[in-house]
Amino acid sequence: MTAPAAVAQSHIRPWQARPGLMVWGALGFLAAVYLLPMLTLAGWAFRDPKGGFTLAQLVKLFAEDTYHTAFVTTFRTAAITTVACALLGYPLAYLMATTTPRARMLLTAAVMIPFWTSVLARSLAWVILLGKRGIINDWLVGSGLTAAPLPLLFNSLGVQIGMIHVLLPFMVLPIWSILMRADKALPLAARSLGASPARAFLHVVLPLSLPGLFAGCILVFMLAVGFYITPALLGGDRDITIAGLIEMVVRDLLDWPFGAMLSLALMAMVGAIFALGAVIAGADRITGMEGRE
Amino acid sequence: MTTVVLRRRMPAGRIALWALSLLVVAFLLAPILVIVIVSFDNSTLFTFPPKDWSLRWYSALWNSRDWREAFNLSFWLAIMVTGLSLLLGVPAAYGLARGRFAHKKAIEFILVSPMVVPVIVLAIALYMLFAPLGLIGRPAGLLLAHTVLALPIVIVIVSAAFRRADRAVELAARACGASFPRAFWHVSLPAVRPALISAGAFAFLTSFDEVVLALFLGGPNTATLPKRIWEAVKFELDPSLTAISTLLIAVSVLALLIAEIGRRRTSTASNHEA
Repeated sequence: MTAPAAVAQSHIRPWQARPGLMVWGALGFLAAVYLLPMLTLAGWAFRDPKGGFTLAQLVKLFAEDTYHTAFVTTFRTAAITTVACALLGYPLAYLMATTTPRARMLLTAAVMIPFWTSVLARSLAWVILLGKRGIINDWLVGSGLTAAPLPLLFNSLGVQIGMIHVLLPFMVLPIWSILMRADKALPLAARSLGASPARAFLHVVLPLSLPGLFAGCILVFMLAVGFYITPALLGGDRDITIAGLIEMVVRDLLDWPFGAMLSLALMAMVGAIFALGAVIAGADRITGMEGRE
Repeated sequence: MTTVVLRRRMPAGRIALWALSLLVVAFLLAPILVIVIVSFDNSTLFTFPPKDWSLRWYSALWNSRDWREAFNLSFWLAIMVTGLSLLLGVPAAYGLARGRFAHKKAIEFILVSPMVVPVIVLAIALYMLFAPLGLIGRPAGLLLAHTVLALPIVIVIVSAAFRRADRAVELAARACGASFPRAFWHVSLPAVRPALISAGAFAFLTSFDEVVLALFLGGPNTATLPKRIWEAVKFELDPSLTAISTLLIAVSVLALLIAEIGRRRTSTASNHEA
């Protein structure tokens, strides 16, 4: 910096010249109401009630089969949800990116309305649709397709349906966003050079969209692992996830130190998935909420 | 006739793509449509399509003091959360978009990271913080907790808008002698007004629909609408719940419309610039 510039700068009050200082309000707020409690949580997980440091909660985490089952259930549910969302979401995102503006607007509305609708209201809708005397079973039995109502609710199937419904928009939006920005001339070039439509898609469009697909998968998996409402409403006693287990440990057993340890374990898993996603697809693509507006 | 024309225009792959996508759209919208339609059914069973239409469950809601109070609490809480998260989030978004400072990436990560933390973990952590402070069961506690969730959304949407906005106009205002606060208020903020509207709408919805924090940090004095619905569902599946769900859906659609109107104004504005 040259000397005259430095003199000119000194006449400006610091906050005028440095917009960076404007982040302090939000940062201070989150330090107090978010970072501090998260650190307190970690403290609870490792603190002996009699004073001092303990690994007792960590040992407990690995000792009991009940906890293993919850971890396995959570991972299985999250994995199935992610794969199903990718299979259902990719074609829709592709259509949204390649269709006419009017059709795109309608399809976008069809994704955005459920995206911003209360998870509670939607889970309730599934209870009404899938229940033993629910609308779908009414139709199935009424039309004679099945003799008895099918068990669609309060089991892992109900949880899967509900979670795919809640998380599908999180898959569609990043894929759509990357397909919209991809060069539309590239697949045309491939076609004009003699590639079949399928070949042009597989070798040109799909590779271009992979970062969006990865970001969607990471986002869906990460959110699915921490889900509480949908499994609690649509699942049965055997479908308890880590989030449900935390609630049980804290509410029914009042075992806050172990609840804190379970929360920490869940955070560690989410953090690991996020780190993996940040390496593969870039952190901005995951938290960027592209297309959410 | 029409089918022939369609077929000539659309290859088989395209038709399959449309068919599959429409099934996915049906899956996305069906539960929402069904719950709205069932809410106008007069019977106490959930029949679809309804045989006897009525506003019975809506009048039940209207006449219930509990539900009205829950709605009022949720509404005013969401308004306060929107205000607080805009107040903290808009300057932070400006700082992230325009500022150059040390550890910017790390600070940006901290500011948006609450979006990916499982809400149940946040609920447990906040309970441990709030319990000794006497904030459990207080609306003030929920205001703080909901703002943790809404703030990152505001920051992401508004900072993206500041990054797109033309910086030269701000500098021109400053060069013409406007003080920094004056330029910020009269030039920088109006340039991102649509994003402020979207961010406000989504901050409102984040609080208005939030269940888990309300369950863990709430008490009898903080029975928000989602908390009451949750307790009612666990107790018994009452048909008036379909009416209240429809109300929640209507609020979401309204907020989305407001955000969409804001977004359209941006695109026309940028067209004028170009």
